[in-house]
Amino acid sequence: MLRFAVRRLGSLVLVLLCLSILVFVLSRYGGGDPVRSYLGNNASASAVAAMREKLGLDDPMPVQFWDYVSRLLHGDLGMSLSTRRPVRAELADRLPATLELAIATLLFSVVIGVVLARVYALPGCFGGIVRFTLLGAASAPAFLVATAGVLIFFVQLGWLPVSGRTSYGPSEGLSGIYVLDGLLTGNLAYSWDALQHLLLPAFAASLGPGVALARVLADGLSTSIGSAYARTARSLGESERSVLRRHGLRNAASPALSMLGVQFGMMLSSLVVVEQIFSWNGLGQYLVMAIDRADTNAVATISLLLGAFYVVINALVDIALAAIDPRVRLS
Amino acid sequence: MTRTDRPALRVDGLTVRYLTKGGPVVAAADVDLRVAPGQCLGLVGESGSGKSTLGLAVQGLLTREEQVATEGVVAIADRELDPGDERGWGQVRGHLVTTVFQDPMASLDPTMTVGRMLTWVTRDKQESLRWLEEVEIREPKVVLRSYPHQLSGGMRQRVMIAMALARRPAVLVADEPTTALDVSVQAQILSLLRREQDRLGCGLLFVTHDLGVARTMCDDVAVMRHGRIVERGPSAQVFDAPQDEYSRRLVASRLTLDTDRARPVGPPEPTVVASMSEGLAQPEPESLTRRWSAGELTWASFAAPEPERRRPPALELVAVTKSFRTGGLLGSREKQVLHGIDLTVEPRQSVALVGESGSGKSTILRIAAGLEQADGGDVVIDDRGGAGVQVVPQDAGASLTPWRTVEQLLLERLGNTPEGTGLTDAERSARIRLALERVALDPDQVLRRKAGQLSGGQRQRVAIARAVVVPPALLLCDEPTSALDVSVACTVLNLLNLLRQQLGLSILFVTHDLAAARVIADRVDVISDGRIVERVDAGDLSDSMTSAYGRRLLDAVLP
Repeated sequence: MLRFAVRRLGSLVLVLLCLSILVFVLSRYGGGDPVRSYLGNNASASAVAAMREKLGLDDPMPVQFWDYVSRLLHGDLGMSLSTRRPVRAELADRLPATLELAIATLLFSVVIGVVLARVYALPGCFGGIVRFTLLGAASAPAFLVATAGVLIFFVQLGWLPVSGRTSYGPSEGLSGIYVLDGLLTGNLAYSWDALQHLLLPAFAASLGPGVALARVLADGLSTSIGSAYARTARSLGESERSVLRRHGLRNAASPALSMLGVQFGMMLSSLVVVEQIFSWNGLGQYLVMAIDRADTNAVATISLLLGAFYVVINALVDIALAAIDPRVRLS
Repeated sequence: MTRTDRPALRVDGLTVRYLTKGGPVVAAADVDLRVAPGQCLGLVGESGSGKSTLGLAVQGLLTREEQVATEGVVAIADRELDPGDERGWGQVRGHLVTTVFQDPMASLDPTMTVGRMLTWVTRDKQESLRWLEEVEIREPKVVLRSYPHQLSGGMRQRVMIAMALARRPAVLVADEPTTALDVSVQAQILSLLRREQDRLGCGLLFVTHDLGVARTMCDDVAVMRHGRIVERGPSAQVFDAPQDEYSRRLVASRLTLDTDRARPVGPPEPTVVASMSEGLAQPEPESLTRRWSAGELTWASFAAPEPERRRPPALELVAVTKSFRTGGLLGSREKQVLHGIDLTVEPRQSVALVGESGSGKSTILRIAAGLEQADGGDVVIDDRGGAGVQVVPQDAGASLTPWRTVEQLLLERLGNTPEGTGLTDAERSARIRLALERVALDPDQVLRRKAGQLSGGQRQRVAIARAVVVPPALLLCDEPTSALDVSVACTVLNLLNLLRQQLGLSILFVTHDLAAARVIADRVDVISDGRIVERVDAGDLSDSMTSAYGRRLLDAVLP
């Protein structure tokens, strides 16, 4: 098991290296002129040349890449051309916001998945209607769910806030994750307020992945409780509930976890949109602004970060899979 | 108190109906059974006879099925229970009655260690260890920590037996406990079951389709057909002098090492007789059936004339090696599966390749079929002008595209050969009809049917018809009978032998069943661990086989 984990993490390093090359190449050839966007269209030719020289844009490609990677490893992410602050400082402000939203989305997806898996298994006409409705809901893109959520819970009912992360100022806690900071500093009202702000955006981003998860989980459960090993368990006197808990869940968890890993990528991409809609001051909003202004340093860094999120989560999923199902360790 | 007074298992008037969309299907009809403590009752029959349903019903495993209706009473150690009602089963199932199922790989939870599963039953780790020792598992401590996929098939079944016996049940149900195992471990598992049953004194209900196994294992047998028990009695009596017409046919279909190879096997089958009549002096079915029954019909009478020119071997493998790579980017391993195989199949010769799973026999077949490349050595196939090699697979159901009609499937093969493309539509149609008749199928009935609508036996015959509609240079058969009921298996073996005579086919027949191998082949090659360890004439297998593995296979064919 340990060997598997080490091997899997080893291959993670390789994937991250490839990812950084890809991001680097895209940022240099992806179009847009960072110098022009920084200095403006009226800058003199000599100023542009000086800036290119300063940014090292005229160096040969391998040298530029080496520069990029070594600065990356030292934590120097360059200047954000759109905000004129170091990218690192921007990230320090915004990363916790996105982390908060991503974690909440992941948790919501799991909860929605597990709850709906039971509804999915309902027999008869009612079950059919539920499945049909959920399929429709899951097919709706996150921005549509978000807009519908805003219309219902803000405009009509006025129950939930739809802008920003809090009605108060930034938290005084250390993590930058507001719900957590409120709890840590004993300010429960602050946490409650942050949670209310979190509900709609996280729900909008997690509905699709949650339903997808539910379908895989329900399918896995019905397969495993109808399997030969479940029959063996019954023949040895296990109750239906014990069969479901001891054998059903365990065996159905593997495909559901793999699904969750894949869906996490979808979640990240919908977070970019959702942050936009709910004025959530996170990486997604920053990314949209940076793309708009050809801020290549920022775009490259955020892409790398989101990509890294994705591959790390999937590596963890693989390790969890191996812990649940011993056969995974062999392949 | 005598045995008959207090049976371990009593079944009275049990009827089981499966409620399907097309109406109820009766799986068991008014069945009565008694199994005394220490007695082994065999429940034998072909697929669909209801024997497995009966096995489930006596453990109360049908109570939760919504599409099942039951009548009658099941009594386990004097506790009367309703097989259709869960009430009362909770203290009985898993305690007074337990089961050893067919496929130990599928029947053990793949995500749990043996220890976790077994200790759930025994409630104590020391007790689990003791039970593993009891079922003769070496290194029980290691096995306790192992997962099912890390064990061999025989070990898994031993674990299954330990779990089933650990609660000392009054009744043990064994549902085809050796069918999914290699034949060479079959005998060990059977003697283990018998010994443990004697020790615990429990009643054993032994469900099987294998008459040889039933004969060695069981004191008494009940023969089932269409949900009814058609004959019952002491094993020796039922097998040596069956009274019922169906039992007689079943017993006659069984192959042993004494079966006459020169003649058709099993009782006369009308469809096979019909396809025999072609090109004979006395083609009337009645006379053929009479001669078959009397043992006067030999394969020699169907032999096609020898060709004038001698042909090269149909298949020649010289020093063929093959290895497979497993593992990923980091840390891959290589496993050699074939070590210098030499194998020749002469024209009109039939060779059987026998070995257990993992011995490399299927890899040889795949190399001969061109589905796999050999790493080293020479593979020479006499192509006979493009007729090529054809395969009859083990699972014909999966090898035929289910939504295509039989006609489309056969036309496809015809269109892929030089011989077939030169024919007119009328000629092609005639060829297809002839091929179907040769495998004892009525063309008018099956031509327009889709493969998915046919029965298992019919699909196997369509697969053979497709393989021989243009006679191939070499016919490769991959365990074509192992998934079939005994009577259907006889028909397939007879048809293959008939085609071999009529068309002068060369055959390579891969199997683990020596009794079938000796009927179909001129020569038997024994393969073990990627090496051919022995080559013997099929005529006197029992005398000339000397290799250790060959002897084990011989012992596995029950008398």
